Amino acid sequence: MWRPCGTFDETYQKDMAIVRTPLRWAVLVVSLTLTGLLPVLVPYYFVSFLNNLAITVILVMGLQIVSGYCGQISFGQAAFMAVGAYSAAILTQKLGLSFWLALPLSGIFTGLFGLVGGAPSLRIKGFYLAVATIAVHFVTMWLILHLDLTGRSQGLTVEPPSLAGYIFDTDERMFYIIMPVMILMTYGARNLVRTRVGRALVAVRDNDLAAQVMGIHLFYYKLLAFFISCFYAGVAGCLWAHLTLVAHFEQFTLLHALWYIGMLIVGGMGSIPGVFFGVILVRILDELVMVVSPFLAAWFPWLGSAPAAGLGVTAFGLVLAFFLIWEPRGLAHRWEILKASLRLYPFVH
Amino acid sequence: MRARRILLVFLAALMAAGWATIPSLASAREVTFLDLTDFTGPVAGLALPGSLGLEDYIKDINARGGVQGVKVKYLGVDTRYDVARMLSSFKRYRRDDSVLAINIVSTPFGKVLKEITAKEKMAMTIPGDGEYQASPGNFFTWGPTYQDAFAAAMDWVIDDWKKQGKTGKPVVGHLAWDSPYGREPLRGGKEHAEKIGINLLNPEFFPSGTPKHDVYLSRLEAAGANYIYVACVDPAPTNVLRDAAAMGLHKKIQFITDYWGPTALGVGTHPQAVEGAVVVSFFLRGEEAKNHPITKRIWTTYRKDPAEKMNETYGMGIVWGMTFEAALKDAIKRVGAEKLSREVIYESYQRITGMSREGITGSCAYSPSSRRGSQEVKFYRCTNGKIVPITDWVRTPDAVSLHKW
Repeated sequence: MWRPCGTFDETYQKDMAIVRTPLRWAVLVVSLTLTGLLPVLVPYYFVSFLNNLAITVILVMGLQIVSGYCGQISFGQAAFMAVGAYSAAILTQKLGLSFWLALPLSGIFTGLFGLVGGAPSLRIKGFYLAVATIAVHFVTMWLILHLDLTGRSQGLTVEPPSLAGYIFDTDERMFYIIMPVMILMTYGARNLVRTRVGRALVAVRDNDLAAQVMGIHLFYYKLLAFFISCFYAGVAGCLWAHLTLVAHFEQFTLLHALWYIGMLIVGGMGSIPGVFFGVILVRILDELVMVVSPFLAAWFPWLGSAPAAGLGVTAFGLVLAFFLIWEPRGLAHRWEILKASLRLYPFVH
Repeated sequence: MRARRILLVFLAALMAAGWATIPSLASAREVTFLDLTDFTGPVAGLALPGSLGLEDYIKDINARGGVQGVKVKYLGVDTRYDVARMLSSFKRYRRDDSVLAINIVSTPFGKVLKEITAKEKMAMTIPGDGEYQASPGNFFTWGPTYQDAFAAAMDWVIDDWKKQGKTGKPVVGHLAWDSPYGREPLRGGKEHAEKIGINLLNPEFFPSGTPKHDVYLSRLEAAGANYIYVACVDPAPTNVLRDAAAMGLHKKIQFITDYWGPTALGVGTHPQAVEGAVVVSFFLRGEEAKNHPITKRIWTTYRKDPAEKMNETYGMGIVWGMTFEAALKDAIKRVGAEKLSREVIYESYQRITGMSREGITGSCAYSPSSRRGSQEVKFYRCTNGKIVPITDWVRTPDAVSLHKW
């Protein structure tokens, strides 16, 4: 791929490094420091927004692994997030486990649950698999609504996490849990896609028959992709439940699953930075509509509050249509082009 | 390329306009009523007309010079039945000190905000969940709780059963959305039904958006239901009644719907299918709503449409506005316009007990120990394409206290 001009990899370790140059290290350190200071530097609302953003990034990152890298379309991500949220609530509130233990456990449990959802992927693919995952969504919601364990329609309340007496009961405090988890999971995903497993997933996506001929065990890798994807969804669900202090099935609708797929399309399928681009763009657009619509209603009284406020769905649809038509490879592709041109600057091809 | 540039410039302008206008939200003599509502989504059928009523009533307050000089700003945010979006909107506008009270339309929002705002003193109005009455906090229901309305309907069933000269226990089915809202009437309502001698069948629940309800209706019919209580938001109840009519059930089973049963929308679409269905409502329905002097005046003034086009939940929205106006008036009287705060308004919501809603709903029942918006319901029947009253205002039984919370 593109390298900064004059930078050469002299060792295998250097070739494999994610951060390759001192400048990048500096940028990384400064970025992480600034991120750590954000709750102090920016208003409360932005911290809350960033928490929401980070949880969505974790969730969509999981979707990227199964759909973007392995090519298995899944509309079950919202349901898997629900499983994570409920698992966390049960583990912490009913079994008395600590949040810190519940966080990975809810991921693992959701991953195992996801194996059931991913099982049909060996026999069916494409639209058929998409429909099967929609069925998984509805079955999951049905189970949540009918099991005493999940509090049925009333949901489960959750206590905020604590560590050595320090309670993470505000958005600012939760930021210090959510953001490191997001960074860790992004790092994990970034590495995963460079490994043998990652390459196998891409091979399955690009041509599953060819992959099988090369010795890739299709069922194993497809299920593995579902497991990893659901692990991410489970962790996101656990964080979400502890942020909102409640696990409730109406927080995880099929419409949410569609939004997550939309974020993936906008950001770019098969790209880790694409997840960030997609989530950030869609969420910012959503927030902007929320901010702007009251003013639109005030500036254009004939429009009224309802149509002005309902702009969100329209805007999302328009953006999605725009990307599908003009940039189907998503913002990540634009980003790669931009990076390439900056590295060559002032020279041209 | 040109199109892309134009789009980018448009987005940048939108962004700049949005952020630049944030500080203008608050001004000295203006307070805000935040309406976290579903202009789109499964409950938009009730939320949208309600919010229009609220918005127009607030316009009317301001046209009258405000509440003792204090202008009210209506801020409507489309939450799309999406908890994440609601939470984001709530957190965004909570930092705006001019926001003194919040109306929220969806049951799941209440579930989340109840935990998050447990320590806050901020008045939030919400549909009808009995749990807010069971442990009074900062949530105030719009009218009687869902279980109170269900209990009143069961009382009506007993009366109707006796009037028809029938003996034995009437058999009642409950058919509702598979959601907390759909189940809420039974939390206390079930105990009340059993207490007054009703044979309540196992409830049937279906997901919102279900296109056909035959299977649920068949089961209730097979179980021998004489009455079926339907709890979902229009147009869903109209669709249930449509399916029942297609199965011929409307001739042998009496259907009763809750607050969100057929409105002008349902009655106008399927007049024959909803014929004979009874609606229990805490706000005026049908012609009564359209001909009420206040709802009619505000509708025709601000919507500029004939009253026939009004959806009845519009009147309910007007009552939200009236209630806020009364609380604001009380708050200004107590502390003055300069010292208005959320806590003061929260206290005022508890002090406006007995406030008249001009007959659009029963009088206000909020008090330090009550979170019920009112304690009266009215029964209507869909007759010849109209919704006509069959009772006067009826006081609802206290079903909340019958449930073990």
